[in-house]
Amino acid sequence: MSRSVPTASNEQNQEENTEQDIAQRWYTPAEIIALRRWLIWAIFVNLMVLGVEVLRDNLFAQQLHTLGIASLIVCRITLSKANHLPILRWLCVASALLGISLGGYSMASSDFLIYDYWSRLWLIIPSALCFYWMLSSRVSHWVSGISSTEAQRGHARNRTLIPLLDNIGTHTFLIHAITLVIIPMLWILDVSISPGNVLGGKIGDAFSLEHFEKVLTSAEFWLWTKNSIIVSLGTTVTALLLAIPAGYAFSRYSFTGKKASMFAFMLIQMFPGIIILVPYFMVMKTLGLLNTAAGLMLAYSVTALPLGVWMLKGFFDTVPRELEEAALLDGCNQLQIFWKIVLPLSIPAIAITALFAFLAAWNEFLLALVFNTSNDQFTLPVGLASMIPSTGQRWGDFAAASILVSAPVVVLFMLFQKSLVQGLSAGAVKG
Amino acid sequence: MAQSFIRQLQLVQICSCFLLAISSSVYSSTNLEIVESGSQYRIIQIQVSLAEENTAKLGDKSNSLASATLTEQKSHPNHYQIWYATQPFDNLSNARMHSYVRIAETTGLPQPSIGSGYDDCWADSEPAHRDSLGIAVFEPTTRTWSCSLTGMLPETDYWFAVIAADSSGQPIRFDEPILTVPGRTDIGDQPPPAPDTQRVLLILCSILLFFMGLFAYLRWSDLRTGNLDSRWAHIYVAPAIIALAILSFYPVCYGIWLAFTGAHQSSLGEEEFIGLTNFITVFNTPGFLRVTLFTLIWSIANVSAHVGIGLLLAVVLTRAELKGKLFYRTLLLLPWAVPGYISILAWRGILQTNGLLNDILGTNLDLLAQVTSAQVLVILVNIWLGIPFMMMSMSGALMGIPRDMYEAAELEGVSKWKQFLHITLPNLKTTLVPLSLLGFIWSFNMFTVIYLITRGKPTVGFGEPGATDILITYVYDVAFQYGQYGVAAAWSVVIFLFLVAFSWLYMKHTRATESAA
Repeated sequence: MSRSVPTASNEQNQEENTEQDIAQRWYTPAEIIALRRWLIWAIFVNLMVLGVEVLRDNLFAQQLHTLGIASLIVCRITLSKANHLPILRWLCVASALLGISLGGYSMASSDFLIYDYWSRLWLIIPSALCFYWMLSSRVSHWVSGISSTEAQRGHARNRTLIPLLDNIGTHTFLIHAITLVIIPMLWILDVSISPGNVLGGKIGDAFSLEHFEKVLTSAEFWLWTKNSIIVSLGTTVTALLLAIPAGYAFSRYSFTGKKASMFAFMLIQMFPGIIILVPYFMVMKTLGLLNTAAGLMLAYSVTALPLGVWMLKGFFDTVPRELEEAALLDGCNQLQIFWKIVLPLSIPAIAITALFAFLAAWNEFLLALVFNTSNDQFTLPVGLASMIPSTGQRWGDFAAASILVSAPVVVLFMLFQKSLVQGLSAGAVKG
Repeated sequence: MAQSFIRQLQLVQICSCFLLAISSSVYSSTNLEIVESGSQYRIIQIQVSLAEENTAKLGDKSNSLASATLTEQKSHPNHYQIWYATQPFDNLSNARMHSYVRIAETTGLPQPSIGSGYDDCWADSEPAHRDSLGIAVFEPTTRTWSCSLTGMLPETDYWFAVIAADSSGQPIRFDEPILTVPGRTDIGDQPPPAPDTQRVLLILCSILLFFMGLFAYLRWSDLRTGNLDSRWAHIYVAPAIIALAILSFYPVCYGIWLAFTGAHQSSLGEEEFIGLTNFITVFNTPGFLRVTLFTLIWSIANVSAHVGIGLLLAVVLTRAELKGKLFYRTLLLLPWAVPGYISILAWRGILQTNGLLNDILGTNLDLLAQVTSAQVLVILVNIWLGIPFMMMSMSGALMGIPRDMYEAAELEGVSKWKQFLHITLPNLKTTLVPLSLLGFIWSFNMFTVIYLITRGKPTVGFGEPGATDILITYVYDVAFQYGQYGVAAAWSVVIFLFLVAFSWLYMKHTRATESAA
């Protein structure tokens, strides 16, 4: 490596030289920087692939992949030191070549499943990138030592290239993430439109609406829906009736016992629900509220209450007091102020609180399972789960019903995404 | 059982007509018999007898087509399902499966005693063996076995059918059961003595009165001190507080009391104080340490993955230069938007032997039947489920970090990783600490995933928590499968104390590191 030795004749010149020196020492091509990161991911993914091959009991593929991982590790180690020892660069290229051939061979010898292609590509593409970039002229320059002007130009190039490569990496990562997320959804969709009671199979191989037809014409589905709607709406109304005045009082008035009551709400939110499951069940049983909509409604509204009170209090805090004072001067009484001024202003917040209570009741499983054990009082969650007993499972019907049940919920959730997320996380962190 | 009598149903006519129909089918030597027992628990017994394999009889059939199918299936099937319906079996879509019996080698399988589970099955008064899924297994030499069907409604007409199934559990020949028999359950027992409603009502009313009095007093004391601002406040707050007291605080106190009583399904309303007996039962449960340890592993693995992956996704999604952010965010939110039980059940379908996962991998593994893989898989499903919440909570907090901190760091040439360590993490700490504690408590009490995917199976020992049971799912079993309300309440108290201790230690520790930093 040739380094320009600073001549001490001119101070300016010296400073410039030091700067160039730094540029030179710190310069690494963007490709190397990206590869350093990507190879770690590739090794990680290949380790998981190796795990799957262990599950498959495929000894040959296990050996191939162990070698492949070894070659990736060698690439990763030799990569960044290549400018110190040129032989490391050739070692890196060789092991990348090994990785490509191992992946290619493995792909050619495996079954033609999407998974196989995907897993082999995770060996081939990183190795190929490593191979190609290590042989590129940019890296050759870097390895054989570069002049300071070249290094500075390289830095400039890195500044545009690194974000680009970073973006490619991020998109790859996110695409993997969303694939994992939507696989169950696609599966449900596929099962619901496939004829018969088949699990798995090729996606989109046959089409039939028989399951939707069956679900929509079955009395029990509509019965469960009716139960769920009654319980959820009842919960929403009860929770709102209790939460709106409480939230308003907490926001507006100072009164004795305020702190203690607010603490009580916080404490309840921290309480794990299961602790009161058994006593709850026994109280409901004693009062004859098992297998009724009212029992569930009461239980759900109390669960939804603390969060609702907190959210509404937070909102009422933002409604300017001046409005109320003006109304007071105009001769309104407290109740009129609340009805005519505060309530209309807070409709958005109330709607979000209502949506919370509704969704929580619509999706709740455990209490519904314990409280309402008779088939005609099932809510949708328990009803749908009852389609999948340990044997004799009706997957097709379940999938069709799931889509019918979750589609409106998902749409609602996505529409009010922002406020729901804000409210929930705020409530969670406060609690 | 007080009124335990066995009554043979007089179904001669119907039976003979079925025998006619059956004599042309493969299972001509099968004999189904309904024995109805005293129905304290509304149990119906079904007895199935198989005669010796009778090849000579099969050969007698002159019809060549029939004999072809007969020789194909001349041995008895190895899987039987008992179905029931409230109408004749011309259309099986309205029938439900009740019990499942397998004929196989039983060596090495546990043999729980009769009465220790639902749907008892036995042969020659020997209880059936149970495989890892809890299915009754009989020796291949068994010719007659009986099952009791629980949970039938009293005074109801039922039709029962025994259907042969293939080894994957799919019924073969839905249209042609081995045998069907109508039956009728007898009158139900006397309803259990009405629980003491009055006492509960008394307690509830006294709570109500107490709080009304309390609020009246608070209002009065406010008036006296001249606090006019509180005019309506107490009336506004009262309903919510009273609802909370009756439906949350009272059950908690009642639950603590229950833990010291012998409350049981069969003796409702007579809770007798029995001291610490329930707690001794809890700590002496076989597998107590195992289930506690798995619960800890489960919660810690879940929280770390939720926080770690959620943070990673949140950081990635808040990057300014990323295109398609909204698209990714919307899709990544799906596990949160879709009702939890639906996606959990979908995962169960995917993980089954004939499910999507095995299709994708080209394998035929029963991952949920093995201890380690089942444990890993339920954890993975719960991780999948919980990430969006953590992701969104953290991206909210990330937005709150001033951008110029990063810009300054960028100018100084600080690497992205160092920026994350020294800017992002310290700024996130006030969110991360309560959020991870909350995540821990939620995972600890995550009932649905395990209940819907494995129900605690694979079974380790009968009456013990299963391999994938966490404390919560086991408490559910104790309470609602075994009916031991007192013991379950004791479990709940133990769990609650554990959570309180853990939260306290955690907060103390994080506060200590905070002041040290």
